[in-house]
Amino acid sequence: MKNRTLSLLLMLPALLLLAAVFLYPLLRYGWLSLHASSVLTGLVPIPNGGANWGRLLDDARFWTDAGQTLRFAFCSVALELLGGLGLALLLHRPLRGRGPLRALTLLPWALPTTVMALGWRWIFNDPHGPLNAALRSLGGSSYGFLSTPATTWFFVVLADVWKTLPFVALLLLAGLQTIPADLEEALRLEGATRLQILRRLTLPLLVPYLTLALLFRLAQALGVFDLIQVLTGGGPAGSTESLALYAYLNAMRFLDFGYASTVMLATFLLLLVSLGGGWLLLRRHGLARSTERAA
Amino acid sequence: MRLLVLLWSLGPLLWQLRTSLLRPEALVAPLLEGNPWTLANYQLVLSGDPPFWQYLANSTLVGLATTLLTLLLAVPCAYGLQRLRGPMRWGVGLALVAAAMFPTVLLFLALLEIARSFGLANNLLALSLPYTALSLPLAVLLLRAAFADLPGELEDAARLEGLGLGQRLRFVLLPLLGPALASTAILVFLASWNEYAIALTWISRSDLLTLPIAIARIGGGSVFTIPYGAFAAATVLGSLPLMLLVLLAQRSIVSGLTRGAVKG
Repeated sequence: MKNRTLSLLLMLPALLLLAAVFLYPLLRYGWLSLHASSVLTGLVPIPNGGANWGRLLDDARFWTDAGQTLRFAFCSVALELLGGLGLALLLHRPLRGRGPLRALTLLPWALPTTVMALGWRWIFNDPHGPLNAALRSLGGSSYGFLSTPATTWFFVVLADVWKTLPFVALLLLAGLQTIPADLEEALRLEGATRLQILRRLTLPLLVPYLTLALLFRLAQALGVFDLIQVLTGGGPAGSTESLALYAYLNAMRFLDFGYASTVMLATFLLLLVSLGGGWLLLRRHGLARSTERAA
Repeated sequence: MRLLVLLWSLGPLLWQLRTSLLRPEALVAPLLEGNPWTLANYQLVLSGDPPFWQYLANSTLVGLATTLLTLLLAVPCAYGLQRLRGPMRWGVGLALVAAAMFPTVLLFLALLEIARSFGLANNLLALSLPYTALSLPLAVLLLRAAFADLPGELEDAARLEGLGLGQRLRFVLLPLLGPALASTAILVFLASWNEYAIALTWISRSDLLTLPIAIARIGGGSVFTIPYGAFAAATVLGSLPLMLLVLLAQRSIVSGLTRGAVKG
């Protein structure tokens, strides 16, 4: 009993700070979302009986942004998992200069998102950016990478994949390193091809790591904010606006704290549903079990 | 294959470097004559008001304060969690994983309210409080895994020698945790250096901006009026310290992240 008390005491300061920073905001949003608190009320919260939630249901911009956020998250996470797996397999092979190669591929992940969002803005610049220069020299004409509402979201995905792929690759690399080399060797001696080894041995053993990367990246991608704010500002024509950016605009530009809180909570709910759905889907295919066993 | 990977990872960075060294006219039209290379962009950025190194100093200060505070709170917490048994241990572990995954931008509004009511806005050291909280989940998970790797007999022996908890931690356990502490510290520092949403809303005084905000603010104008050369110079200057850190501490970072994955 004394041991237990001591353990809890040692954990207390950290847990208190965590509660203040993670738990309190969620409770506060729950409370604020049931109040009108905007410039009209002088930012003094006045109960408005769920009017914020009613407004949310009718808010076309919210639902558009929700769709765009989901599209962004699913596409970038899918590409990151595929690309990350490829990169991890490459970095796992005994290559000359593997150490420096790992460090260099890690760089995009370590740099501030805003810094490279600006870099990408220049690369995508119409007409002076290098991509358009290359297009023209190939005989094409300039393309508005960041000014074409139908396609800009894809280039935002690309910039996100560039930045977070190394992180996913590193996670998967950790998984690869837990697979005993002699298992692979044994399969090879039995005459299995590389693809067969990948499908029958590597991928099944990698499932816990893939799941971890999937859930972690999905949560982060559904809250995407700084990349979009700096790269496109949500444009063109709102076609890349994410839920987090919309919530930010409600709070800081429209000064409507009540509604901003509602949007944040709704985003959080969407995140829970997506992650929960992903988990159930994995479970139905029996993949989650090996993750649980490993955890 | 290796070349392709390098091109993908480094291409955008090298292009920034090239842009930062070109004269503005050379960016919009290939110069037919004259030397297109210049250091003027760097002079412009460094002689700005406030000069660029001020942002670097701000980010470094917040980063160091956050790292220190995180380790101070995370080490006892990880130790306590490792010793805990029963459902509490499982519950706290799960809560930490959930917090580590949480997209932090969703927290900014409530934190901004706290900052305003306690007068913490525009204070770099106060900024390290929420940053510490954001880094704690990962730090505790990493350090708990490291504590779990230490042989239990070691601490028992130290206890039999009559060492108190503080002494056991300080003289027996922590020296063995060196590598884990180092990789945790680096990951915390990186996260704090790169944080955006909270710094954006807490700091408004231009001489107190952290690097990501300062850079985003320079770029806030229209795409056509941005002095891209100066900008690229700013991004290069802002990236250099991190690049050095990553290249020097690569092994530590990789081992930290992979440990987190294996044990988490």
